[in-house]
Amino acid sequence: MIQWLMNIDRRIIFVFVFLGVALPLLANVFLPIKPTRDVIAVYDQFEKVAEDEGIVLLSFSYGASTEPEMQPMARAILRHCFSRNIKVVAVCLWPEAPGLARKVLEEIGDEFGKTYGEDYAFLGFKPGNFAVVLNMGQDFRDAFPQDNWGTPLEELALTRDVRTLRDFDFVFDLAAGDSIEFWWIPYGQEKYGFPFAGGCTAVMAPDLFPFLQSKQMVGLLGGLAGAAEYETLVGRQDKATAGMSAQSMAHLIIVAFILFGNMAFFLSRRR
Amino acid sequence: MIFLSRTLPVIVALCFGVLGIGIYYVPHAAAQNLERELALWLRVVFAFSYLLGLYSLLNLHWQRIRQRVEGWGYSAMVYVGFGLMMLFVIHNDGQGPFAPQAEGTAAENGYQWLFEYVQVACSSTMFSILAFFIASAAYRTFRARTPEAALLLVAAIVVMLGRVPIGAYISEYVPAAAEWLLNVPNLAAKRGILLGVSLGAIATSLRIIFGIERSYLGGGDE
Amino acid sequence: MTRDTYIFLGLVLLFAVVNGVLLANGVLAADWEGLGVIVAAGLTLALYSFLYKDNPLFKVAENIFVGVATAYIFSQNWYQTIYGEVFVRLSALGGEDSVSGDWWLLAPTVLGLLMLTRFSRRFGWLSRLSFAFFVGLGAGLTIPRTISSFILAQIEPMLQPLSWSIEGFNLLVILIGVVAVLVYFFFSVEHTGVVGKVSRIGIWFLMISFGASFGYTIMARLSLLIGRVTFLLDDWLGIM
Repeated sequence: MIQWLMNIDRRIIFVFVFLGVALPLLANVFLPIKPTRDVIAVYDQFEKVAEDEGIVLLSFSYGASTEPEMQPMARAILRHCFSRNIKVVAVCLWPEAPGLARKVLEEIGDEFGKTYGEDYAFLGFKPGNFAVVLNMGQDFRDAFPQDNWGTPLEELALTRDVRTLRDFDFVFDLAAGDSIEFWWIPYGQEKYGFPFAGGCTAVMAPDLFPFLQSKQMVGLLGGLAGAAEYETLVGRQDKATAGMSAQSMAHLIIVAFILFGNMAFFLSRRR
Repeated sequence: MIFLSRTLPVIVALCFGVLGIGIYYVPHAAAQNLERELALWLRVVFAFSYLLGLYSLLNLHWQRIRQRVEGWGYSAMVYVGFGLMMLFVIHNDGQGPFAPQAEGTAAENGYQWLFEYVQVACSSTMFSILAFFIASAAYRTFRARTPEAALLLVAAIVVMLGRVPIGAYISEYVPAAAEWLLNVPNLAAKRGILLGVSLGAIATSLRIIFGIERSYLGGGDE
Repeated sequence: MTRDTYIFLGLVLLFAVVNGVLLANGVLAADWEGLGVIVAAGLTLALYSFLYKDNPLFKVAENIFVGVATAYIFSQNWYQTIYGEVFVRLSALGGEDSVSGDWWLLAPTVLGLLMLTRFSRRFGWLSRLSFAFFVGLGAGLTIPRTISSFILAQIEPMLQPLSWSIEGFNLLVILIGVVAVLVYFFFSVEHTGVVGKVSRIGIWFLMISFGASFGYTIMARLSLLIGRVTFLLDDWLGIM
């Protein structure tokens, strides 16, 4: 019996995982979420920019593969920015990011009645990874001479006076790769010293804790849970918060499987 | 010929490597301008490198089709997807390829439509499949056979429960424990790894600059 | 025909019927957006069919996706850089609008084009110049930034006075952890005696860290699954 349980068909486990995700979503349960220190720090930094009527640079460094995790985060951040009249300049450092970035910018921009070119600007993608950050630091217009649709930056009211990364009050990177750790921190934040924070996929989050303690990052949003915490702070429950009940249930199921597998293993070893 | 094909590239790497280090420490405007110019060069070369990848992928599938290897029909599907998307890239809402990217949402623009309903759907689904396999693998192989493995297992469970809302329902100490694990022992280990990796990166960079490491040149005598 | 073939044909038929019902009931609009949702749902299910076993539906969806993604990535390089910067700025050279210094753009363009000789047997060696530029400059830029961002900036927060407080205790644990992990990675000395004991402590820290990473990885993959299931239940079937 124990051997049978240990060699159970993997498709049975798949069914449990699927039900663990689907049933809470269908039940539409919203669990209360308590924001953590690092997420609150990001929120506070955006609030500070709002008080100073500042401008932020939002870097989209994620692609289609992480859309379900990162897009809710981008939506929550933009809702916060636009609700507090923070000006947003968006750039993409990932080749698949433009389609996702422009969608969320237009969606949230329309929600808050924002005007393109005055309240926000979308400059599109540039290849080069760290070289783009280096280039933006030296001369922003050299890296992005025009926006995504070919309009020169000097013709947009928002970007007319932007010359270098120092002109931004806050830089926030939405990352699915190593852009926070290996592009923005060494090639941007280290030299220009602007306040910097990031939102990343959960896979990357544990690697970034050293940068929080060293103050190279102001705060961090890790995965869908980070996005849900930010939605709570912004006061608008959306897809990330809705997903937290499913996330909780699926985690419980996997933990149960791990514990069950270990029990079966030790029982079989004793015999 | 050997000079041109093997020695000259090493000299180029040495010159640009030394330049890369030097301009960091020179605050003069000329050095900063040079850094700006070199960053632009890197960006442009990087853009061309994508063409290398494009050719490599298309050529691989073309060879599979040409040689009629088993499953060559699937390689043809790569060309179907590529060709369809390229039609919209070239059309660019009537502006042609020699113009900035056309505006238009997924409802108005085939390019954006294919991205949203094919690329995003497929890409995120492919990665989400791993959720099933990781659960199955955890059940089968995640065993507390040794004290170290037990430590790994306990840390994983604490983080899994502590970073989602259900953790606080089980006990208020679960999220607190997860927070501490991430901010103290995890941080220490990651920092140790980061310091080790950084020293390794510096050593490798120096080897490249001084021509000891030449694997980037590829094989062949010429 | 095998049993699996019947199963897959049945599922394809079921998918068609479900979409017919959704269109008839107005859950999905009969426009490009509605068609997009149907295509995305079909591709999602085709890819998930891999969970049952590898099959042609999965492979077709997978390969179409590779083709579309390749063209998209190419287009973003084309619109923004190869056309938007290189072509536009080089074609303006010599004209009235030309900016001095744009001539410099010829250098990376040539280096970029030389990179494409990689596939030629005769001229392949020319690509080495491009790679040498790229790798050499990259290495040079990396060294000073690695020292300041990853070594000095990471050591600095540990060089603080310890105190009799929770913060002081945590700082001490971090200090011990970092030293122990570094000792573990130091292979020039045999891991016996004191070094062996310290490196064992390093392993414990690493295990906790790997456990945390594993937990977060499960979280990430499940988040993607939640996103796709939400799409199927809400955007496609409209039952959420």
